[in-house]
Amino acid sequence: MKKRQAMALGMAAIMLTGCGASSSAPATTAAAGSSAAASTEAAAETTAAAKTEASGSGKVYLLNFKPETDEQWQELASTYNKQTGVEVNVLTAADGQYNTTLQSEMAKTDAPTIFNIGNTSAAQTWDDYTYDLKDTDLYKHLTDKSLAVEYNGKVAAVANCYESYGIIYNKTILDAYCGLPNAKAASVEDINSLDKLEAVADDINGRLDELNKALDGAFDVTEAFASAGLDDGSSWRFSGHLANMPLYYEFKDDGVDVTAGEATIKGKYLDNYKRVWDMYVRDSAADPKTLNSGALNAEQEFGMGEAVFYQNGDWEWSALTSGDNGYTVTEDDIDMMPIYFGVDDANEGLCVGTENHWAVNAKAPQEDIDATLAFLDWVITSDEGRDAITNGMALSAPFDTFEGEYAPTNKFAATSAKLMKDGKTSVAWSFNATPNVDDWRADVVSALTAYTDGSGNWDAVKTAFVDGWASQWKLAEEAAKK
Amino acid sequence: MSRTIKKYWPIFVAPTMAAFMIGFVIPFFYGIFLSFCKFTTVVDWKPVGLQNYTRIFFVNGKLDTTFLHSLWYTALFAVVTLVIINVVAFAIALALTKAIRGTNLFRTAFFLPNLIGGIVLSYVWLMIFNSALAKYSMTIVSTQWTAFWGLVLVVSWQQIGYMMIIYIAGLQAIPEDVMEAAEIDGATAWQKLWKVTIPMMMPSITVCTFLALTNGFKLFDQNLALTGGNPGKMSQLLALNIYDTMYGTTGWQGVGQAKAVIFFILVAALALLQNRLTRSKEVQQ
Repeated sequence: MKKRQAMALGMAAIMLTGCGASSSAPATTAAAGSSAAASTEAAAETTAAAKTEASGSGKVYLLNFKPETDEQWQELASTYNKQTGVEVNVLTAADGQYNTTLQSEMAKTDAPTIFNIGNTSAAQTWDDYTYDLKDTDLYKHLTDKSLAVEYNGKVAAVANCYESYGIIYNKTILDAYCGLPNAKAASVEDINSLDKLEAVADDINGRLDELNKALDGAFDVTEAFASAGLDDGSSWRFSGHLANMPLYYEFKDDGVDVTAGEATIKGKYLDNYKRVWDMYVRDSAADPKTLNSGALNAEQEFGMGEAVFYQNGDWEWSALTSGDNGYTVTEDDIDMMPIYFGVDDANEGLCVGTENHWAVNAKAPQEDIDATLAFLDWVITSDEGRDAITNGMALSAPFDTFEGEYAPTNKFAATSAKLMKDGKTSVAWSFNATPNVDDWRADVVSALTAYTDGSGNWDAVKTAFVDGWASQWKLAEEAAKK
Repeated sequence: MSRTIKKYWPIFVAPTMAAFMIGFVIPFFYGIFLSFCKFTTVVDWKPVGLQNYTRIFFVNGKLDTTFLHSLWYTALFAVVTLVIINVVAFAIALALTKAIRGTNLFRTAFFLPNLIGGIVLSYVWLMIFNSALAKYSMTIVSTQWTAFWGLVLVVSWQQIGYMMIIYIAGLQAIPEDVMEAAEIDGATAWQKLWKVTIPMMMPSITVCTFLALTNGFKLFDQNLALTGGNPGKMSQLLALNIYDTMYGTTGWQGVGQAKAVIFFILVAALALLQNRLTRSKEVQQ
């Protein structure tokens, strides 16, 4: 009996721990979140304590979007506080939790004064909260005004960095390929159209052994294109970034604002979209039926020199070259070319835009708004601010104050700038106009997956793309009604 | 003594009551209120009547089946996991209350999956499923049914051990004299199970079916991590569908809230019904 009791107690203990464990995952995240918040608050307190003569001036509260830049922002906040006495509070949302964090922070009395707006759709959601930045110094310093989000007649948000994407390629492998007999291109520069790219990619995929022999052990190439993963961690490259191409060219033809879009689209360039997608799938080693498994790692395939081409953006630069991931490609091996789309290949540059925009909370007290604008102006004009953004955060800032030693250091960004200088037209981020972006993309990805694994057809992709757009646009418009 | 309690009870009740009000009652009613509003943040709302509720089913003037799909998909999931978890857990509990060597070891082993969080567990299983299915050129999210059975397997694997513990406790509480009497009366093992063990076990069965049913309806972590609702929202269980509406669709926070209210009514009604059904079968010892 004694023994049984002891065991029952033991079981009860296990059950108790069991109860705790069943909810342990959210609990730890919450704990991590609150500890991050706590440390931020602690930092804010110290900055508040450090301020000596804050004479009733406003406060600044930045809800930061990029977790990797948290440290630099905290430093900037305390530097600014030391110099001016203005209280600056920085809170960084956990990765992928920005919307949830923003929603709860905005409901508080001391709501963020600076928050991130990703695109027009977000500007719509937060329309009541965005302060018109048209007359601010921040907007005046912006070099390319298309990098601001305009909504409802306001400059709702201003880009704080810009990014470029295209097809990242391995120059070393391509050079070796061009040296092969009967190569489809004489040099890398020769690959300047979709026709050429397709011919080269097909040819590389068919002559892997020959190519590897020519590379003499430098890399072991297994495919032309890195896997086109359709899992949630990678599908945005195609439902967002690649889908941008047909959207951009259609908006351009229709003469509408290329980043604001239009209510209905016809899918005029979807055949080109299909052609590029088919190439990605055909010239890759991944099984077309299991592209959504989540097990594919395109970055790694490219980083280890197994793939020659990899559609992605300049944010990949540090991941590919830092050495932390153990990748074998080096800075000299890699470069970026435009996503040739068979429409205007001769003039096409990289896709340049951003999803990082500062918006200022219009519902904050006027003194806080003034303090916030002054802070942002300081960030983009002072040496400390510019150094933190260019060198600390490694971002390319779109302001005319970032010149000389504060010009971007990223090679992909440099390529982007060089193409622009050569007279190529940068492709705008038209996908920022996507209505209900998550829903629309989910439907496109689902149709694209079915088409690729053979269980569906291309018409369904067209329907999701074209009809889905119109339907989501209508919904978004309806939701925007006051 | 009782006079002291009469005098001081508010001091003892107040903290808990306050926590209960702040943590549950107020948000609950506020949530119901918000389901009739259009809102961006919870303090910035505008009443819109029943619009949120109609939008659940009618989108752009057409019937939208996303919510209905996830409703029956969830119901099916809850029923299937309810049956599998309880039958298997009961069977294992029966086996492990027999005098076999190493029962404690087995009990621990069966219970272990419950100690791992749902997200981690699902990521581990995701890898297992996908490497196994790769042979057949499939993934866990190839169709809504691969996703369904994947979820069933993971959740069953996780919860069987937990229910098993409850059943073991119940089995050990059955007085041996009842069993002995049945044996003397010449009952077969099968008869003993159905006529003695199961009726005596009804309180445990009530608890376990209740837990399995509500867990099945409320499942979120595993759904998010294992399938993410793919392919194309077809494997979205209710909780994930609500989350997706709330944060995925611009200006639809109110619709998400309305779905949550329907979700609450549904789960509450089912849980009450189930409780009543199994309670009525409970016997006095």
